[in-house]
Amino acid sequence: MNSRNLLWRDLLVLFGLSGWALALPAHASEFAVSMALTCLMYVALSSSWGFFCGTSRYLSLATSAFFGIGAYTTAVMLGELSWFGVIALGAGLATLVAVVMGLAVLHLRGTYFAVLTFGMAELIRHAISYFEKSVSGTVGRVLATVPEMGTIYHTVLLLAVLAVALSIGLRRTRFGLALLGIGGDEQRAQTLGVNTRLVKVAGFAFTAAIAGGVGAAMAVRWTYIDPHTAFNPFIGFQTVLIALIGGAMTVWGPLIAAIVFSVLAETLRLQAPQIYMMTLGILLILCVLYLPGGLASLRWQTFKAWWQDSRSWWKARRYEWSGDKARDKRKARENRIVGL
Amino acid sequence: MSASEHLLLRAQNVTVRFGGLTAVDAVSADIRHGELVGIMGPNGAGKTTFFNAISGVTSLSAGELAIEGRALAGAAPHRFAALGLARTFQTPRVFADLPVRENIRFGLKFAGRRPRKYWLWGEERGVPWALRNEDGILQLIGLAQLADVPAAAITPSQQRLLEIGMALATRPRLLLLDEVAAGLTEIEVEEMARLIRRLRDELDLSVVWIEHAVKVLLRHVERVIVLHQGRKIADGKPSEVVRNPDVIEAYLGDEMVDAHEGLT
Repeated sequence: MNSRNLLWRDLLVLFGLSGWALALPAHASEFAVSMALTCLMYVALSSSWGFFCGTSRYLSLATSAFFGIGAYTTAVMLGELSWFGVIALGAGLATLVAVVMGLAVLHLRGTYFAVLTFGMAELIRHAISYFEKSVSGTVGRVLATVPEMGTIYHTVLLLAVLAVALSIGLRRTRFGLALLGIGGDEQRAQTLGVNTRLVKVAGFAFTAAIAGGVGAAMAVRWTYIDPHTAFNPFIGFQTVLIALIGGAMTVWGPLIAAIVFSVLAETLRLQAPQIYMMTLGILLILCVLYLPGGLASLRWQTFKAWWQDSRSWWKARRYEWSGDKARDKRKARENRIVGL
Repeated sequence: MSASEHLLLRAQNVTVRFGGLTAVDAVSADIRHGELVGIMGPNGAGKTTFFNAISGVTSLSAGELAIEGRALAGAAPHRFAALGLARTFQTPRVFADLPVRENIRFGLKFAGRRPRKYWLWGEERGVPWALRNEDGILQLIGLAQLADVPAAAITPSQQRLLEIGMALATRPRLLLLDEVAAGLTEIEVEEMARLIRRLRDELDLSVVWIEHAVKVLLRHVERVIVLHQGRKIADGKPSEVVRNPDVIEAYLGDEMVDAHEGLT
């Protein structure tokens, strides 16, 4: 398939999936819808994360900060602006913070960048909680009037579709190519004419805008918001994990992983609450060990290879345990002695 | 036309310090249109640092840098690329995950982008025929058969050619080549030298070529700049430079004598 066919395939798959997600609330139970909402949230977060951080290999742990900024915007502004005004403001504020943060830290690479983004996320969290305590005189805010479930669902769906569609479309533009070049060899990309600073800040801002919008929309799921729930770093880690498990470089990896991960987490939590976290941890380790390219790298051949590997392993064990191996070895030794 | 109109790159008192170490010490050099200039010097003479400085990769500690009169000291490397300066790296730095063709396309999409004949379509204006698209460049550097192979899978000498191709894709006017012949066999070196001369002649390029192997360089360039311990100690025709006492001393004589014999 050439690149144009692939683009059409991706867009059609996205169209089908979003149509399916749109029809879901009419047919499914309330529980299923709320699970779908969590899925969509992680689809939006990890797709936008993967688009910038996956291709350019800048591992950002600041997603929770942008999510929290969005959520807090909702907490403060919900009564005063329209619903879409709140979402747009949350996304806009997160973008603004990302641009400032990006200009400050995007010249760092690797571990330094990851640690610094995490540090900045924590800084924002504590700054807001300090501000709330000393200036506003509260520790949290109660959301009195929240929009109904359908509105939230459609907003998050829209954001998720937007994130995936942009990550499909932008991948094929000069912007996507520039990010790929930055991921490959940043200095080389620079000497070939890429304004790396601009591209990185723009990519980071894109990630932040989606995260801020999602945060603003998801905030109304909680009726009470304080800085420590809104800026929960777990959301940032989970986003990174999902993107990495799915395959951060790919379009569909984060989406598949977000669905698998959310469903799995929810099922485990309900079926086996004692070993829920342990099981997830073990699955993560297995994923990293045996699927370094992420879920998106799974092909029919992968399963075939696993099947063949396990069969040849079993064959070897049978040979060993039946005593045939020892017999053959002994015979070989005897033959050698006779030969001498 | 005055001499300054032919001037492509002017470097004045370029100085690069790393902490207390002065790697390049007040080196001045002018590169004119269509020149093929070599830079040589013993190990640690500051050749590559000088190169990094004039391509924007390392920032200058002091000095002036201008391409066709436009001051560039302190600018980011993409500005250098946009003004027509392209470089290769000593160890090939290709995008290993991308196919060879995509590696070439990268330069065409960024520094090499030119306005089109009509608003969004038509061929790009002011581009040499050989550099019109990926295939033209691949043919020029002789990697047309490997277009769809990932860059990680080709041999190091092919990667070096690809490096040159990537630099050419930015449609440069000045090409900086950093030890492109290092580690090649004698035949490959000759081919490389022929390719470089051809690029200069056909594409209206100026070329600056750093090489550690003195003999190859002196045989092919028209002017040579000699660096030693960060300073410029000679600048002139190869036949003159090999007789320069400072150069002979810097190279402990023997290699220069060989090179001299090779030239005459």
